Amino acid sequence: MTRTFFLHIEENSPLIKLHPLLKISFLITVNVLPWIIDMPLLLVIMLMCLLALYKIMRIPLKRLCKFIVLSIVIIQAIMFSYIFGSKIPGRIVYVSFPWGTYVSDKTLLYAITVTLRFLNMLIGSTMILAVLRDIDIIYGFLYLKIPYSIAFTISLALRSATIFIDDYFRIRDAMVLRGVNFDKGNIVTRARNYSRLAMPLMVLGVRRMIELGYILEVKGLGDVKKRTFLYEFPLRPIDVALLMFMVCLVVVTVVLKYFLQVIRFPGWPFS
Amino acid sequence: MDVKKIAITGITAGLCLPLALFAIILVPIPGLPAASGFWIPAGFYFVMTLWFGLWGALGGHIATTIAMGYFFGYTLHIWMNGGIGDLIAPLVCLIIFKVTKARPDLRSRKDIAVWVVAVVISSLVCGLWVHTIHLFFGIITWPSWYIGVLTYLIGDTMAVLAVGTPLLKSLTDYVKQSPMYIWK
Repeated sequence: MTRTFFLHIEENSPLIKLHPLLKISFLITVNVLPWIIDMPLLLVIMLMCLLALYKIMRIPLKRLCKFIVLSIVIIQAIMFSYIFGSKIPGRIVYVSFPWGTYVSDKTLLYAITVTLRFLNMLIGSTMILAVLRDIDIIYGFLYLKIPYSIAFTISLALRSATIFIDDYFRIRDAMVLRGVNFDKGNIVTRARNYSRLAMPLMVLGVRRMIELGYILEVKGLGDVKKRTFLYEFPLRPIDVALLMFMVCLVVVTVVLKYFLQVIRFPGWPFS
Repeated sequence: MDVKKIAITGITAGLCLPLALFAIILVPIPGLPAASGFWIPAGFYFVMTLWFGLWGALGGHIATTIAMGYFFGYTLHIWMNGGIGDLIAPLVCLIIFKVTKARPDLRSRKDIAVWVVAVVISSLVCGLWVHTIHLFFGIITWPSWYIGVLTYLIGDTMAVLAVGTPLLKSLTDYVKQSPMYIWK
């Protein structure tokens, strides 16, 4: 297995052979759809479909384990935010707060809806990240007619993020070996300890930046007006069909929500 | 696009991206998804912007946008708003440095004073931007606006001063050797 962006690539998955444009389009679709949809039942169905896709595409669900802590942090924040800071109209108001917000019978349902949105985005994005290679980012963006320099910058950002994550843990472990405890103390102590990681990280960052600047110059990246590419990814009819399907899915969702008002919150069976 | 600018933007984004994720996990703010009480990457992209100009700020913007939106997609306006706020803040700091003719190596008292004031002003501008947009979108209420701006100001200022000050003081001389350094 090859490591790329935050994960190791699942080389056995049929998704790996997917056209780069389709991978990027799927990533966009899987993040746009939950943002449009606010009907809990539909979001649950979408979540089930995504989990089924993991099985079909032979991507192990354990890939999601490393995001459990992140998910808990985000879900508690969503719940806290909607319970104490929202004004979602409902039939009954249970509690009113002095700062002008209240908890109605629809508040918890809406908070769960937002949580489902987030989970759909996370699970869908992780699935694509599990098969996304550096060249997919660049070629995918190029097919979307995004300039090469921007595609390369985004790819470089994601690639170097992975390297810096390794650096971060290496430096952190070295500091732990020297007796620093990152889990102890109040927020200020913890923040101070973490800020001490900054110096070695920044030295590595600046050194890489200078070296990379020279490397890119030597490779003549800025001088070439019309680039040629090593790989070719011709769009097959099945790729075009899948692309059309994703576009149609987004268009149909927009029409159903904003024009026909069928899939609006709270929707069946809560309406 | 100049290759050096690509290197600055890409590496700054790569450096700040994991730090943004760690900041969200390690010092979360209850009630504000994808926010942190100690925004560690701010210390880095403020410093990168002072050294390398707009491209450092752009790197910070890409990092926070990806970190907050890609993995922690909440709603589009919160995501974009935070990302744009993080682009504005270091640029405000850079403008203050340019206007006052202060230097990022913080050698003189004037430089240090400008740095502290610039960080406070930048964080305040960014906090006002982010929370006023939230208010217009109806995401927060008026009482939360005051709390939000205040926590943003304190959280960002603390992080930038705690992380950025030692970086500027000790690494500016090293960075001066780089052809990307904007203060000649």
